[in-house]
Amino acid sequence: MNFTFESNESKFLLRIADTSLILAQRLAEMCSKGPFLEEDIALSNTSLDLFGRAEELYKIICRIENDKFEPDELVYKRNERQFYNLKLVEQPNEDFAWVIVRQFLHDVYAKEVFTELLKSENSEVVGLSQKVLKEIKYSHLHAKDWIERLGLGTEESNSRTQSAVNHILKYIEEIFNFDDIDKTYLSNTAEIESKWNAEINAVFAAYNITRIEVPPLSMRDYRDGFHSEYMGPLLSVMQYLPRAYPDAKW
Amino acid sequence: MESGDKVWEVFIQKKPGLAFKHVGNCHAYDKKMAIQNARELYTRRSEGRAIWVVPSDQIVSVPLDDADAFFDPADDKVYRHSTFYKIPSGVKHL
Repeated sequence: MNFTFESNESKFLLRIADTSLILAQRLAEMCSKGPFLEEDIALSNTSLDLFGRAEELYKIICRIENDKFEPDELVYKRNERQFYNLKLVEQPNEDFAWVIVRQFLHDVYAKEVFTELLKSENSEVVGLSQKVLKEIKYSHLHAKDWIERLGLGTEESNSRTQSAVNHILKYIEEIFNFDDIDKTYLSNTAEIESKWNAEINAVFAAYNITRIEVPPLSMRDYRDGFHSEYMGPLLSVMQYLPRAYPDAKW
Repeated sequence: MESGDKVWEVFIQKKPGLAFKHVGNCHAYDKKMAIQNARELYTRRSEGRAIWVVPSDQIVSVPLDDADAFFDPADDKVYRHSTFYKIPSGVKHL
């Protein structure tokens, strides 16, 4: 299939939609593997919120692109280089600390982005933002409470959280290399970055986590469809069924 | 935060003004986690707008062994029910 996007708005929304989708898939992998029953359900609930958010965004994108493809096709028929999610969210569920750190760093970013999108000229995007900001507020609270427990918990919980942070911080820099498309639809990109940094620094400092200096990395940008080594296996699980059985129906 | 795995009893209020109803319990290590876990387990299908959680060990109940002494004496005291009054014919909704 040909997955070229004519409109800059759909290119922009695709970045957010793909980021929601891939994080949803990662959290869905935690289903039945949570540390205890209640947390298992919490992660699955958050996953479903993110799938729903992605689906609504894909619907908007398909309408902008005159319905030349469907949301399911965007999810199941694109190849790795045709996805535009943050590398942050494709990082694996190495342990529970990784799940929580990835979620927290994402939620702080998502909260700022959707707050900006309340000012969008697209009324569908405004409506969706109002709805998802409530979900993000809860998920953010949930992740932040866990950062507190893990950071101030035991020596082991702190060291696992610290190693998750040390790994995941490598994938932060690209988030704030906003291009012209981002700047068209996000009116204040500098503020997104400064608010993100302010909150992450404050929370890490309060809960005994160090924000290490990440040396300059030559990593190609997610906006051009580049990924880390973890993306391929994720997609092969997510897309296996519709690719093996193209006529399968829900 | 205080810590330690505990069981919490969960009460949900469907709408403002209605009584909180006991719906079950959940595990949690602290108050915040208890209220969040209760939310995950018991309100994911819009069951309510308010939650109470109470540590199960804070609930005082009649010891099972004493149940006979506590409750059996009431069984043969039918006069405690207000069934011996004549209802005036004019009263319709009693």
